[in-house]
Amino acid sequence: MSDDYLQLKDVSLSYHTKEGEIKALKNINFCVKQNEYISIVGPSGCGKTTILSLISGLLKPSSGEVLFEGKKLDKSIQIGYMFQRDNLFEWRTIYKNVILGLELKGMAKDKQSLERANNLLKKYGLYDFKDCYPSELSGGMRQRAALIRTLVLKPKVLLLDEPFSALDYQTKLNVCDDVHSIITKEKQTVIAVTHDIGEAISMSDRVAILSSRPSIIKTVQEIHLQHIDSPLKRRESPEFSKYFDNIWKEIDNAEKKD
Amino acid sequence: MQRKKIDYSNEHIKYLKLKKTDKITTILAQIFLLITIIALWELLTQLKVLDPFFWSSPSRMFKTLFDMISSGSLFEHIGITMAETILGFIIATALGYFIAVLLWWSEKLRKILDPYIVVLNALPKIALGPIIIIWVGAGMPAIITMCILICVVITTLSMLSAFLSCDKDKIALMRSMGANKFQILFKLILPNALPEFVSVLKINVGMSWVGTIMGEYLVSKAGLGYLIVYGGQVFKLDLVMASTLVLCLLACVMYLFVGILEKKVRKK
Repeated sequence: MSDDYLQLKDVSLSYHTKEGEIKALKNINFCVKQNEYISIVGPSGCGKTTILSLISGLLKPSSGEVLFEGKKLDKSIQIGYMFQRDNLFEWRTIYKNVILGLELKGMAKDKQSLERANNLLKKYGLYDFKDCYPSELSGGMRQRAALIRTLVLKPKVLLLDEPFSALDYQTKLNVCDDVHSIITKEKQTVIAVTHDIGEAISMSDRVAILSSRPSIIKTVQEIHLQHIDSPLKRRESPEFSKYFDNIWKEIDNAEKKD
Repeated sequence: MQRKKIDYSNEHIKYLKLKKTDKITTILAQIFLLITIIALWELLTQLKVLDPFFWSSPSRMFKTLFDMISSGSLFEHIGITMAETILGFIIATALGYFIAVLLWWSEKLRKILDPYIVVLNALPKIALGPIIIIWVGAGMPAIITMCILICVVITTLSMLSAFLSCDKDKIALMRSMGANKFQILFKLILPNALPEFVSVLKINVGMSWVGTIMGEYLVSKAGLGYLIVYGGQVFKLDLVMASTLVLCLLACVMYLFVGILEKKVRKK
């Protein structure tokens, strides 16, 4: 388990519009360890999602670089990306949705990959629904299908962009548990963006706090909780509220500086 | 997920019955309205309250229809108009769809052509009638061209806006999985716009009839539009009314056909 599994080195990014230049990120430096779950929190509009876009390669940094195992990140390294909404294609069955990535990579006939897809569906209780259309599934099941769609491609890093914020609170807690257990079982390295401090603490090994624009990383908070079985259990840990308080104050300070 | 058979409560059975009666009464009223109009029309013309020379009458209409059917000329006219409409419909839809795909593909092209499309859309296409006749010649080609012109711009505009309204997250998702532009087009943009495509088909059914009949008004020696214009010119109102009736029925049939197609797509 090396320290520099994924590394952002002096990454800055500016958006250009007719009105001018917006500095979104300034000299972002941080490392992600393998199999780690790291959350990024910060004031709204601070460019949290921008970081994910950079890592996924959807955006190129204005300066600095993103390194994977010491080498510059390129297309050959599969990065999984999950969004706020599940973005399942309504005209495809669950099975067809899950193998979408394989189709795109020309691996739709690759027996091993298809078996992996089927196994993931079986393992996580969606196999009976593989011929259903997304509209026939509940919100939680849809999110699980979206996660499997990403996992089929064996991503080296999984990016979660507020993947639970479209769910109602009750479902959200359950889906958090669900997703957390799948991620742990599949040994994924995760970078998640969220505005929900409770979710960040209950899911993560570390929480990075961003300042407002142009964003820098203010602090990275390591999370050590008494209970570690599941996010729900973790919420019951005695240290939970202390962390919550700390992070909340940090974000609050960042916002007030504006 | 699966719908089980449930014993409905009395209240629910009552509700279902009410819904059913509601539907039946609506249909009955619709039929009643139709019969009333026909009966009233016939009665008023029989009593000479309305002059059948100007108003025709249902009985004269049906007699004209019957004569045309027995001489076979009706089917000839229907055949010609149908051929023009269907050809215009298919070519316009395919062409408009294709142009929309091109415009989606290239943002630059879209920006360059934008003012031209706006003008073409605003222009009443019938104004181009004389130019069309001179360029492609009188007769069927001119009529089909008119039909295409009327349908193609609206097809392009509707499909383009459907393509462009595709969820940005879904495109980002495809790209994060390594999709190229072709894959984004064929696996996401086109299937995503299928419901809009069906509504464009529905609009085009109506528009292609407009185009064809307008074309036939301008230049034709046969077809339902020709019959209507000719009938009007020689004051044969029976012919005008009968042809209009046939036109109504045909447009209905084509619309129903697209309706069935829509149901099939929606089911998917």
